[in-house]
Amino acid sequence: MSQRARLGVIAAAVVVAVVGFVIASSSGDNTKESGLVHIVVRHAKPVGGVREITVKKGHRARFTVTSDVADEIHIHGYDLHKDVIKGGTVSFDFVAKMDGGFVVELESRSKQIASLKVLP
Amino acid sequence: MALATAAAAVWPDVASAHGLVGRADLPIPSWLFGWGASIVLIVSFVALATLWPQPRLEQAVERPWFRIPAWVDPICGLIGVALFGVVVYSGLEGTSEAMNNFASNFIFVEFWVGLVILSVLFGDVFRAFNPWLAVGRALRWAAARAGLSSPVRRDYPAWLGRWPAVATIIGFAWLELVYTQKTPQTLAWLCIGYAVVQLLAMAAFGIERWVDNGDGFTVYFNLFSRLSPLIRRDGVLHLRPPLAGVPSMPMVPGSIGLLCAAIGSTTFDGFSNGPVWASLNPDLQSLFKDLGSSTNVAIELAGAVGLLGCVAAVGLFYRLGVRGMQTVGEGYPSTELARRFAHTLVPIAFAYALAHYFSLLIYNGQAVASLVSDPLGDGSNIFGTASAHIDYGVISGKGIWYVQVAALVVGHVSGLILAHDRALSLYKRVRDATRSQYWMLVVMVGFTSLGLWLLSAVRQ
Repeated sequence: MSQRARLGVIAAAVVVAVVGFVIASSSGDNTKESGLVHIVVRHAKPVGGVREITVKKGHRARFTVTSDVADEIHIHGYDLHKDVIKGGTVSFDFVAKMDGGFVVELESRSKQIASLKVLP
Repeated sequence: MALATAAAAVWPDVASAHGLVGRADLPIPSWLFGWGASIVLIVSFVALATLWPQPRLEQAVERPWFRIPAWVDPICGLIGVALFGVVVYSGLEGTSEAMNNFASNFIFVEFWVGLVILSVLFGDVFRAFNPWLAVGRALRWAAARAGLSSPVRRDYPAWLGRWPAVATIIGFAWLELVYTQKTPQTLAWLCIGYAVVQLLAMAAFGIERWVDNGDGFTVYFNLFSRLSPLIRRDGVLHLRPPLAGVPSMPMVPGSIGLLCAAIGSTTFDGFSNGPVWASLNPDLQSLFKDLGSSTNVAIELAGAVGLLGCVAAVGLFYRLGVRGMQTVGEGYPSTELARRFAHTLVPIAFAYALAHYFSLLIYNGQAVASLVSDPLGDGSNIFGTASAHIDYGVISGKGIWYVQVAALVVGHVSGLILAHDRALSLYKRVRDATRSQYWMLVVMVGFTSLGLWLLSAVRQ
């Protein structure tokens, strides 16, 4: 294969790759903002297992936690904390500016109660 | 700091197993998975059609650049020993909360991940800073000054090859990804234990002979330094084309095992966060519990099975590709071919490590700023940086995805280039060389697709 033909093959491949990337990335996921999620903590454990809260970056993440134990609710990465009293309820409402997976937990017990998923 | 406090204790619970995590990677979405896989195929066929017809990397020339001054070695060694001391001291005396302890962060982030990248960029960095090597050399120097003659050395047994390194790498991966009690205190004692074993082995086999063969970490980081354009020979720093150091990788017993351990342990890191393991793991754990182990031991045994399984699967897949290649051309035996092409897995191992640990390094690497000021986690502020926070916004989730996919694709291409070059020098007829490469292509595409799949199947 001549040098020229080689360059031609490479150029064609690059074009295919770039076009493919543009088409693929524009067809991205169509995720909706999650509604208000309510997490209930009983015996220091989330009822129904670790809840997943999914929002798109730039949208509001909203959820409440009702707990039968007093603790501090902590969202990792965002570093948001709120104290909850025994039998009390706290709510979080903030704009998810950072994408990624974040753990929500009962701070002093290191018990994960939810997973916040912010999609780019 | 509060952020750090909590994550320490939740290691087994956090979605991502590398621990020390505040912001976990999102799985790469299906469109990027599809695009990445297509690129791999396109690139592969373009490579087959356009790569050079004469071997180029096999006899690449190294050009001398400059002589490293004699005082550099003792200084680097001193820095290495000092860091080792700080790590051990923080581990023993500091808080048991891993994320607030300098020791855990340094060992799992700067040492284990950072040195891999530094090795690829700047050559064999770890060998220069290796603390036990520095201590060994200092002792030899002192003994010579005191007029003590060094005792007769044993030969390093040929059959032992790279097996000590294989054991070290699998052991370290198990410690990082599986072991449930990895407090800074445990890590500090393991550091001391490892260093003592190294010093005893150096005494038995000779300092350099042992370090370059039997010290698992020196051998592991040296593997990646072969990708680097920089190499030190006889005190002179040389320049060479990237990848050119890989073909000369010595093939001794355990060399292939080491590559499989490197790729397999990173594979397990991804695999253990995926859906397949999530369904297998409980069964394995209950099996071990039925056999009488406690919960933690059952978790650790199940993890060990998963880890070894991943290493074995990587090895098996490579052997399958080699068996295919054996059907081509001049009839080299498959053990010979396996040895001749194993070096092509070095860039794959690097791509896997970079794709899996990039965000850990970018995020948790920042914690070093606060931890140097407060290495013990007791509230001190030596350099005034103790309140520095991890900025999780330095790179977006998409940015991480692109780095991951780019790492795998570049690793794939590098592997193909190395295999192509080796085939040209191995087979007399170009036609056989090309045909043998269809099989290596299957191996490379397989590893790259596995890498993409691992990144896309992360459970949240």
